[in-house]
Amino acid sequence: MVSLTKRVNLLGGAVFVLAIGLWELLVRTSVLDFTYLPAPTAVAEGLGELFANGELLGALGHTLFAALSGWALAGLAGVAAGSVLGLVRPVWMYSMASLEALRALPIVAFVPVAVLLFGFSVQTEIMVAFYAALWPILLNTINGMRTEPRMLESGAVLRLSKAAVLWKIRLPGATAMIVVGLRLGLSVSLVLTLVAEMVGNPAGLGFLLVEKGQALQPGQMFAAVFVIGVTGIVLNGLVMGAARLAFRGQMASSGEAA
Amino acid sequence: MTPTISCDDLAVTLPGASGPVHILRGVTLAVEKAEFVSVLGTSGSGKTTLLRVLGGLLPASGGTVRCDDTAVSGPPEGVVTVFQDYAHSLLPWRTVRRNVALGIEAKMSKSERDDRVDEALTMVGLLDRAAEYPWRLSGGMQQRVQIARALATRPRVLLMDEPFGALDAMTKASLQDQLQQVQELTGTTVVFVTHDVEEAVYLSDRLVVLRGSPADIGLSLEIPLPRPRHQITTKERPDYLELRHRVYEALGHTVGEPARG
Repeated sequence: MVSLTKRVNLLGGAVFVLAIGLWELLVRTSVLDFTYLPAPTAVAEGLGELFANGELLGALGHTLFAALSGWALAGLAGVAAGSVLGLVRPVWMYSMASLEALRALPIVAFVPVAVLLFGFSVQTEIMVAFYAALWPILLNTINGMRTEPRMLESGAVLRLSKAAVLWKIRLPGATAMIVVGLRLGLSVSLVLTLVAEMVGNPAGLGFLLVEKGQALQPGQMFAAVFVIGVTGIVLNGLVMGAARLAFRGQMASSGEAA
Repeated sequence: MTPTISCDDLAVTLPGASGPVHILRGVTLAVEKAEFVSVLGTSGSGKTTLLRVLGGLLPASGGTVRCDDTAVSGPPEGVVTVFQDYAHSLLPWRTVRRNVALGIEAKMSKSERDDRVDEALTMVGLLDRAAEYPWRLSGGMQQRVQIARALATRPRVLLMDEPFGALDAMTKASLQDQLQQVQELTGTTVVFVTHDVEEAVYLSDRLVVLRGSPADIGLSLEIPLPRPRHQITTKERPDYLELRHRVYEALGHTVGEPARG
């Protein structure tokens, strides 16, 4: 995380702190006069309460489990199917129309369908997270498999086997694209898990948010929003860090150096 | 003596936007062991096509292509092509060392592989950059990495497709001399495609000029200049200048007139 500390932007941070201070000031002086807009101090208080009574960690754990399970499954399925689609021309020809149609369907529209199919359960959340993350991972893998023809010729003149070409040239060549797909997939799977929790399975951070809103506890509700935001940032950072560790050369050569 | 790599009455026709395009017709070329043969021709004359057919990257439409006594279908064992665009030929996620190992790593033990890689990198003078990524190196160095990758396989034949075409004049001259030394050291057979007349005369034992459309061999010229050759003294010899003159003529240039094409 050396890179993170280096990238911390002092001026940007100052603006953020100033904005929070301004928010506090405007609420306290009632310039901003909404019945249920809490001041940042009230949000911090709400966060403390949620943390103390265990609601927060329980909900966070539930949401993370659902989103990450769906995302991981999508990663496996998306990379495998994307490789086949990218490499085997006939498969691509036959499935392209169906893929285009499904891809164009807004994912949110799939949430009530999943609720109907899988009930008010964590399976619904996992399915929705899976479906949401599948598309960016699949499409980026397909694109990534369009290997530079000259690299393949280099493999041919060095008499690499077909397996070696796949393993040593095509997949490493697609890694940077696949990682982009995984990052996009992770953020949408988190979003869609939250939606599924709001309208389907009453659990996790999504439900916590709705519940605190309906219970007229704006401090706690905003605290939940804050936690969701931080979760997204942390997850993205973790994926990038892991990718840089595992695929040093690929990430460095695509300009994603650590 | 059987030539190392040869083609007989070779024809190549490729599909074009408006019907088939005849690129080569009736090309017969036999390259002996340890011979350095350059293929010259104007842009679009089919030089690269000829090299791709010899290297097994493109099938012939007519005639035969042989490597030793075997008909070529796909890249033959011991024949490695070096491409002009080094940036796309090297694997950017592998270090220089692992790029050079690409062709041999599946075929030998780790220690043997390391020895071969060291040997190849020493020949091109890049041993001290082995841990670098290729995209951190200059164009000339990257091309040397590609040459080392080919040398690591201990090829009998190197097919080089304008390998120095994208490099500046000074880098080009130093790589020409390095290639000369490597060839002398290893006895590798080289087929060298270029559009640079000076380069072809300077490096070759023999050069052929592709001419016409579809192209065939318009001129085949022995280059009996003594070796080792030197960038300054060899290029000042009257016989060098005479050979150079003949090649320019074969390419269609006439003294006293501006160049065509």
